[in-house]
Amino acid sequence: MTWAVGVDVGGTFTDAVAIGADGRCLAAKVPTTPHDQSAGVLAAIEALGIRAEGIDRVAHGTTVVTNLLLERSGARVVLCATAGATDLLRLRRQDRAALYDLAADHAPPLVAADAVVGVTERVGARGVATPLADDVVAAVVASVRGQHPEIVAVALLFAHEAPAHEQRLAAALRAALRAALPAGVDVVCSHEVLPEIREFERTATTAAEAYARPRVARYLAALEARLAARGLPAPLVVTSSGGMLPAGVAARHAAALALSGPAGGVVGAAAVCRAARVPLALTVDIGGTSADVGVVVDGAPLVEAGGDVAGVPIALPRVLVETVSAGGGSIAWADDGGALRVGPRSAGARPGPACYGLGGTEPTVTDAHVVLGTVQARSLAGGVALDAARAHEAVGRLAAVLGAEPTRVARAIIASADAAMARALRRVSVERGLDPRTATLVPFGGGGPLHACGLAEHLGMHEILVPPFAGVLSALGLAMAPERRDGLASVLAGAEGLDAAAVGAACAAADTATDGVHLPDVAFTARVRYAGQGHEVETPVAPGDDGPAIAARFAASHRTRFGFALERPVELVSLRATRSGAAHAIALSRTGDGASAWDDAAPRDDGGTLARTVRGPVSVALPDATLHVALGWTATALGIGGWHLTREG
Amino acid sequence: MPRFDPLALGVMGHAIAMVAEEMGAVLVRSALSPNIRERRDASCALFDAGGRMVAQAAHIPVHLGAMPAAVRAAMGRRPGPGDVLLLNHPSHGGSHLPDLTMVEAIADESGTSVIGYAAVRAHHADVGGMSPGSMPFGARELVQEGLVLPPVFLERGGRPVDDVWAIVLANVRTPDERRGDLAAQRAACRAGAEGWRALRQRTGVETLDAAGAALLDYAERRARERLRPLEGARGAAEDFLEGDGVTDADIRIAVSAAVRDGTLHLDFGGTAPRVAGNVNCPRAVVQAAAVFVLRMLLDDDVPTNDGLARAVSLSIPPGSAIDARDGAAVAAGNVEMSQRLTDAIVRALDAAGLPVPAQGQGTMNNVVFGGAGWTFYETLGGGQGASARGPGPSGVHVGMSNTRITPIESLERAYPLEVVHYGIRAGSGGAGRHRGGDGVVRSYRALDSCTVTLLTERRRHAPRGAAGGGDGARGRNLLNGVEVPAKCRLELQAGDVVTIETPGGGGWGG
Repeated sequence: MTWAVGVDVGGTFTDAVAIGADGRCLAAKVPTTPHDQSAGVLAAIEALGIRAEGIDRVAHGTTVVTNLLLERSGARVVLCATAGATDLLRLRRQDRAALYDLAADHAPPLVAADAVVGVTERVGARGVATPLADDVVAAVVASVRGQHPEIVAVALLFAHEAPAHEQRLAAALRAALRAALPAGVDVVCSHEVLPEIREFERTATTAAEAYARPRVARYLAALEARLAARGLPAPLVVTSSGGMLPAGVAARHAAALALSGPAGGVVGAAAVCRAARVPLALTVDIGGTSADVGVVVDGAPLVEAGGDVAGVPIALPRVLVETVSAGGGSIAWADDGGALRVGPRSAGARPGPACYGLGGTEPTVTDAHVVLGTVQARSLAGGVALDAARAHEAVGRLAAVLGAEPTRVARAIIASADAAMARALRRVSVERGLDPRTATLVPFGGGGPLHACGLAEHLGMHEILVPPFAGVLSALGLAMAPERRDGLASVLAGAEGLDAAAVGAACAAADTATDGVHLPDVAFTARVRYAGQGHEVETPVAPGDDGPAIAARFAASHRTRFGFALERPVELVSLRATRSGAAHAIALSRTGDGASAWDDAAPRDDGGTLARTVRGPVSVALPDATLHVALGWTATALGIGGWHLTREG
Repeated sequence: MPRFDPLALGVMGHAIAMVAEEMGAVLVRSALSPNIRERRDASCALFDAGGRMVAQAAHIPVHLGAMPAAVRAAMGRRPGPGDVLLLNHPSHGGSHLPDLTMVEAIADESGTSVIGYAAVRAHHADVGGMSPGSMPFGARELVQEGLVLPPVFLERGGRPVDDVWAIVLANVRTPDERRGDLAAQRAACRAGAEGWRALRQRTGVETLDAAGAALLDYAERRARERLRPLEGARGAAEDFLEGDGVTDADIRIAVSAAVRDGTLHLDFGGTAPRVAGNVNCPRAVVQAAAVFVLRMLLDDDVPTNDGLARAVSLSIPPGSAIDARDGAAVAAGNVEMSQRLTDAIVRALDAAGLPVPAQGQGTMNNVVFGGAGWTFYETLGGGQGASARGPGPSGVHVGMSNTRITPIESLERAYPLEVVHYGIRAGSGGAGRHRGGDGVVRSYRALDSCTVTLLTERRRHAPRGAAGGGDGARGRNLLNGVEVPAKCRLELQAGDVVTIETPGGGGWGG
């Protein structure tokens, strides 16, 4: 039998899930190996206990890029920028780091001021204003060479429209630096990384690509070698936008891997939504220190234009994930205004909640669950024995400060964490014109199924889908997701003036940029706005569309999202092509062996065959999480694994 | 009023803030003009039935404490359930004319009573008047600056008041864009009203009322807790605006600050009387500056609501430049007087021994280009003051503004201008143990004949250092390399280059 394997690297654990051709699933959890994640990846695959020859695919979500951006441990980059605009990385968009904290500053840019080389040339909105002269090219090359870079970034004004200057300069740099390092010195151009208007965002993204690329390439090469040595296939790597790239291609899209980890979770939730035929879902992944919130529409993660990662602006498309500092380890405290507060400080994995008995003494959200009995001592995964007495002590001390009953305080701690997460869920949905009341909540991660009912009630939601393997859902989703590549082409033209041939040409350019025309499925999306607007709406493009057809579709979705449309010219900013392979044909199912023996006194779902409906309040132990079914909710075990919850009334 | 359960305060705080944030999200994502969408020159707030502000989603501090005055003015018209008003009159809840504030009286489920107010203020790119952009140079009367709206009904009894829409749209230069932005404000008000109704239904009327009151008390308590260790501190400062666009004479702003009985008292006695030009501002802007400075002293998590204002008391001399009324021109007051008020208050706190940063650039460097059929407005960042905690950030907006710069590529595509240079103004930050932030240099070349209006400050009086730190460099405005005044209107020919060098921030520590 053949298996597809997904491996997700988190801060503490590396998770692996294998899906067999017959729908059987296996899961494993091993400690993450921070110095070289590939060791943990291999260990996790081996912990699954299946033979290497049977594995025909390994899909991988990595935090390598996120970590190197956080640690600022990327490559030494020299940036070539249009003379007169060499400070863009430092100036950003002139917004300050914090509205009221005047001392706060943004993280320093990835390229220091003295590593930026000005290039005397200029392209404007009306074409080339100052040609790029040969002696300028020579001088820039000499200056770059003198800086001994590991890699060079080139980002010139208007290169998204007219890339010729970037191309010429890059060719000269590559030729001159060929011998500078054993592997040569790579040159990264902005028109290739992000062919879109807005010079700061394009330059910053290009700098991030250059900064991350050498180390990412080394990591992926090492991983591939490690897997090959065991007879395993080369990995596919998930991108921030939920794409899935072969390792060799991913190594040249380092900036696109910045949110590989969190994107994997939403990709997993989307796979389960497709299996359960859920049209609109809000997803929440609750871990120890934070909760990640996302949206799944028609079985696909919602993808948007980028923002910051670790203070580094990366404007590439990304799966929408909003992080809230609220999780099982969030610490509850009383502030000087006499209010109960939860987070943002977290006990993390070490010392962890008081009930872990690892030295934590402050009450956390998990401790509140223990006090209320929603998490029971024996139900925690990972072999940690919970010490209920310590949880009671910690919550009791806070209760004394607040002058309230410990169980009331415990309930308030959970309600407060719920409110913070609900606020984020509501924000991500209403900002996109989606009504949470019409959506299904998909909770996962160790804490997701515990908080699901509370969150749903805050948001007026009536349906919850607890996915199978809720504690390792990212890995499951990676195992299921097809290969997928994105390509971008700049358009920036009025929709009125675009005939079907012009739209087709832009689609073809974007498709070529995917570098994946061998993959069978292709879809196109345009970024569209009213002339004068600064924000675009992602609008699907159908074969044969002309500009006005796209404009009409855009107006309809503008009306849905914002409640109005305008009599105003419509502009296409850019086109994105998405090439994908056939989805991995698997059917999730509860398997016969190890059928769950149900015990009303201690409900437990091991993933085996189970037909059961229960009414809240009740807690059900899942293999790696706890499901809390609140009063007023009914839960039914699903045939694909996991649970479906509905609220009465 | 029943005592509110302190354990539930956090939950209700999130729930109410969520509604205000939702309004902001709807506004920013649906507004048409870059000024609202990209620069986020807008604010949304929620008020209870008594007109007390329970939450504000702030994008820009200059609106911080100023929204309650707008809602009070709207309430004076006794709106019925669901009615919507529009206003911009500085003496009736407004700030300066381009800031159009929309207020919806939120109806209950049955539509029979008003249960609160949703308010959305947004800076519109043009509201008519003597010059495009409605930030005119040299205006002496309010009516020169644009269409003046005391609170007027935009919707009444569930129907749009077509006459008011017609008057508004007939008096602006870009009616389509105004219609789009007003539609976005309307959508944001509606989101606020729906959110407030839903919350009330879920929690119950009494709980929501009690929670609102408890949240105001809580914010006030946090503010007073912060002020408590400063009890008895007092200090005074003066600062100057460099002319009002009519004359170049300095305009004095004086303030003495004292922390007494847990309240920050600010007395502006000695401030110059009303001036002929348009740097006057209404009291609401003074209130905003005071709340902003208080907010600077507080932790980030303190909710923004009317409770903060209770910890501040203001004494504003009647008839002064910061008590604009009776048709005083105010366009620049909101953008520049507000900066100087903040500077003066911070300096008074410094004199009182509070750990505050050195002065930042203290101006928004307003630049307005206009030609046949187009106007373009932007404001430029500069140096932030250094503080005990570290150097001042460079090239940012300071104080009451936080709007973003227009990308060069967007600007050049839309207007006949070329940005010849945009960079850090190296060395412009003040010296000190911690250096002040540097200003920026931005040069524009006109590709066609057009006009440019400059409304800038800190070209004469440099941003001051603190704790022995050096002053930041003064700003400079140049036309083809020759210095021009801080406030001026220039006719440009194709090829002319206008350069703005923005001020550096003051340094900290000798």
